[in-house]
Amino acid sequence: MGDNTQDQLLKDLKERARPCFQCGICTSSCPVFRVAPELNPRLSVDSIITRGVVPREGNEWLCAYCLMCDQRCPMGVSLAEILMEIKNISAREGKAPPDVIEAALSLMQDGCLSPISSRSEKIRTELGLPDLPKAEPADVLKLFKATGALEVLETNKAAQEEASE
Amino acid sequence: MTTSDSKGSSAGPSEIEVVSTGPELRIGVFPCKCGKNIGAVVDIDAVAEYAKTLPGVVHVQVNVYTCADPGQREIQEAIAEHGLNRIVVASCSPTMHEDTFRKTVKAAGLNPYLCIMANIREHVSWVHQHNHEAATQKAKDLVAMAVAKAATLEAQPELDVPVTQAALVVGAGVAGMQAALDLAEAGFKVHLIEKQPTIGGIMAILDKVFPQNDCSICILGPKMVDVAKHPNINMITMAEVESISGYVGNFEVRVKQRPRYVNIDACTSCGDCVEVCPVDVPSRTDQSLTWQKAIQIPFPQAVPSSYFIDPEACLGMDLIRCGKCIDRCEQEAIVPSDRPKYIDLDVGVIILATGFKPADPSKIPRLGWGRYPNVITSLEFERLINAAGPTEGSLVRPSDLTKPTSVAIAQCVGSRDINTRSGCSNFCCAESVKCALLIKEHYPDTEVSIFYQDLRMHGKYFEDQYQKAREEGVKFIRGRVGEIQQYPKTKNLRVSVEDTTHNKLLMEDFDMVILSMGAEGIAGNFPLPISCTHDSFYIESHPKLRPVDTSSAGVFICGGAESPKDIRDSVIQASAAAGRAAIILQKGRYPIEALSAKILQDLCSRCGTCVQRCPYGAISQDGTGKFTVMGALCQACGTCAGDCPQDAIYMPNFTSEQIESQIDIALQEDPGNKIVAFACAFCSYRGSDLAGVSRMQYPTNARVIRAMCSGRYSTKFAQRAFEIGAGAVLYSGCHLPADCHFQTGNHWMAKREPRIRGWMKRNGIEDERFRVEWVSAGEGKKWQTIMTELSEVVKTPRKDIVKPKRAIDSKSKKSVKTKTGSKPKSGSEKKQKPKKKVSSSKSEAGKKKPAKRK
Repeated sequence: MGDNTQDQLLKDLKERARPCFQCGICTSSCPVFRVAPELNPRLSVDSIITRGVVPREGNEWLCAYCLMCDQRCPMGVSLAEILMEIKNISAREGKAPPDVIEAALSLMQDGCLSPISSRSEKIRTELGLPDLPKAEPADVLKLFKATGALEVLETNKAAQEEASE
Repeated sequence: MTTSDSKGSSAGPSEIEVVSTGPELRIGVFPCKCGKNIGAVVDIDAVAEYAKTLPGVVHVQVNVYTCADPGQREIQEAIAEHGLNRIVVASCSPTMHEDTFRKTVKAAGLNPYLCIMANIREHVSWVHQHNHEAATQKAKDLVAMAVAKAATLEAQPELDVPVTQAALVVGAGVAGMQAALDLAEAGFKVHLIEKQPTIGGIMAILDKVFPQNDCSICILGPKMVDVAKHPNINMITMAEVESISGYVGNFEVRVKQRPRYVNIDACTSCGDCVEVCPVDVPSRTDQSLTWQKAIQIPFPQAVPSSYFIDPEACLGMDLIRCGKCIDRCEQEAIVPSDRPKYIDLDVGVIILATGFKPADPSKIPRLGWGRYPNVITSLEFERLINAAGPTEGSLVRPSDLTKPTSVAIAQCVGSRDINTRSGCSNFCCAESVKCALLIKEHYPDTEVSIFYQDLRMHGKYFEDQYQKAREEGVKFIRGRVGEIQQYPKTKNLRVSVEDTTHNKLLMEDFDMVILSMGAEGIAGNFPLPISCTHDSFYIESHPKLRPVDTSSAGVFICGGAESPKDIRDSVIQASAAAGRAAIILQKGRYPIEALSAKILQDLCSRCGTCVQRCPYGAISQDGTGKFTVMGALCQACGTCAGDCPQDAIYMPNFTSEQIESQIDIALQEDPGNKIVAFACAFCSYRGSDLAGVSRMQYPTNARVIRAMCSGRYSTKFAQRAFEIGAGAVLYSGCHLPADCHFQTGNHWMAKREPRIRGWMKRNGIEDERFRVEWVSAGEGKKWQTIMTELSEVVKTPRKDIVKPKRAIDSKSKKSVKTKTGSKPKSGSEKKQKPKKKVSSSKSEAGKKKPAKRK
């Protein structure tokens, strides 16, 4: 069944990528590509169109989701969403990069990604701003369960352990 | 003989011939495989077998290509051999080949109006490629519908009308000028209308023109003079067409000419007035790169060679407000009292050469045009490099007037982008290579890079240009420019582009960037309903075989109004359009649609509704109160018949009886799952054909009924379809307000919508089952969407209880009615009676079926 849904996802992706005619406006507009040329949205889409496979190198995880490529695409292709879908597919296969898994784990455990620093708390009191709400790991966990992120996380953890062994 | 009135009244047209038909109904059906176009999807042999069982059919013959010579010959032989008197060709769309087959049967001695087509290609095999069984069933239904209609077809007299021996050419760019000159040379009077104060169009402001890079105005200038001097050409500048009425051969045109405020004949273009004029306005010719005065001449070679006053800029042509030019002009050529003029013209043909406009670079903010002075368009470049331009031919940066040492040219600006125009603009690749060569020619040290996506150097000699540019050291980089940024101090530009051949980002600095601008369509605001594509270019009658004709007879298109094209193609097309127009003019008479409405006097209650409906004033009342139709004026839209409360108007080829029999057959089986779609011949039917030509797949349950105009669709057609149990009904016409080819038919159809909806509400039929849609000939996609949506609607069975009894009652009453309103030909009357029984028994059977199921 899992394969079926993956097939369907790939089919949807192909359909969405189909209008792309490889002009390169997306890549030349991409702020990440300027510093990390591994992420090339045009080539990610090209892989889906011409080879019919989801790229597995993991470069799409560099996408900052600024949507500049979506904005400028002359064919109306939603590149950022395609990249997001590629990330989803590879995450379900347990191929999310370790740093992303670590970040997700810490988010699940602590309820937030960056803890509130004492400095910012001090400034807030000086400015008379109310205290920031405390993170509730239990609530976050509920979200993880409801969205299926927990399952994906588990798959990736297992895959990582397997790899390290 | 109640309807004989229409014939005698046609004073202008002459009757050519009427071929009568035998009394017995003998229908021949010719299903066509069209090679694999139909044969690979539809089981043609099964369709042929089915056709043999249809009432009245005596001969069925399958052909691989019916339209080819052997196929046409077979039809003619079958007519002779089997005594056929009605022909049904089941093949492509009637817009494609109806004319062909009408000519075929005419050559065999049959009246051409006794031949009709069932469209099993554009409406079946091309749009249902993956569902062979349902496609075959639909093809059978369409053949049965055509056979049912054929049974009541009648011979029509063929008429022709005299043709006014003059042409109207709208737009005096290079295409319009060429068309006008060709027709004028052939000896016809030509009225050439131009919106601007000078003729010449875009070509007049270019510097050099590819591929030989010869001087544009040097080759255009003499042509402009020829146009002005030609005794057969009446050149009207600063004018636009205000209204057009009439039809092929007899158009009445009203032209509005704006005031020039300068007497063309008196003005010697000495330029004294310019010296005293105190008002500066941005120069239109120079793309606002420099200034002109309020009294101006577009460029020195302008034709007519006369100044004009821009009334919006002028301070006032009297001595109190300004009036300096009046004071100065020794020729006393300035006419402050000039007012708009209306000029009425009678012409036989019209050629539209209205051109395109360059795309608007301000719509693409990422490229910085308008914000960064050194980003210029290709037209601005033309003016900068032009010896007659603001810099007298030296290429300089607008920011500091220095010579650029490096220039980038960005391709596909305003083209191949769904946000501006999705199509390719055809000329810009060659234009850019020309720009690069011009720069290299003037300044060999300047570096030129062209950023292209696909370099389309398709024309004759174009490849040589490309080769030359490479030899000259022009860099070609595959990748479309992502963005342009400006260094605030130097005003240099940084171009970000991905070199897609090497997958790497280039961020290069240039002194100047030229945007290679595409074309934007401006067709569509013409007071004549010619179909346009979604990006506002005129649609040709057939993209390959009739590329300069339009769906309106006697109206031709050429140049940039048809699609973006270069000078050579514009001239070729203009000569083609002139040639096509000359055929009509030279013959002196033009055969017109023989169909015209007839009023059945015994049924007519003399309410006069038809008089209001007729957009041509073809219906009039005589002294005795009798209404009659003027045959020559009637254009056969059928709007009068659509609204006649007594059903007393007989619309040949689209009679109520014929349309109702088509509805009945369409809903023979499983009516709840069917969509009865009415489409008008000029827009919607062509739109549905476009869906076929573009192979846009949609569900198989639609049955299209064609009428000349949406004005023909009576409320009772929808009611009848719903009474039989139709799942959904579509009334589709040309776009409101002004696209209707019969001027107002779509308005009258729209007015019927609330009445139909009210009736549906009273009978408990869900609202979404009836739709009124406007589909133009360019909207194949929309047709596909509508069909798909309606198929979703019919998936849920109808909840209402149909009242079959009432339906049958009204039906029987109706058939009595039509019988009393006897048809003009006594021969055809005889054979109609048995047929009527067949069709009515069939429809009753069809009505019973859903009832049984429920």
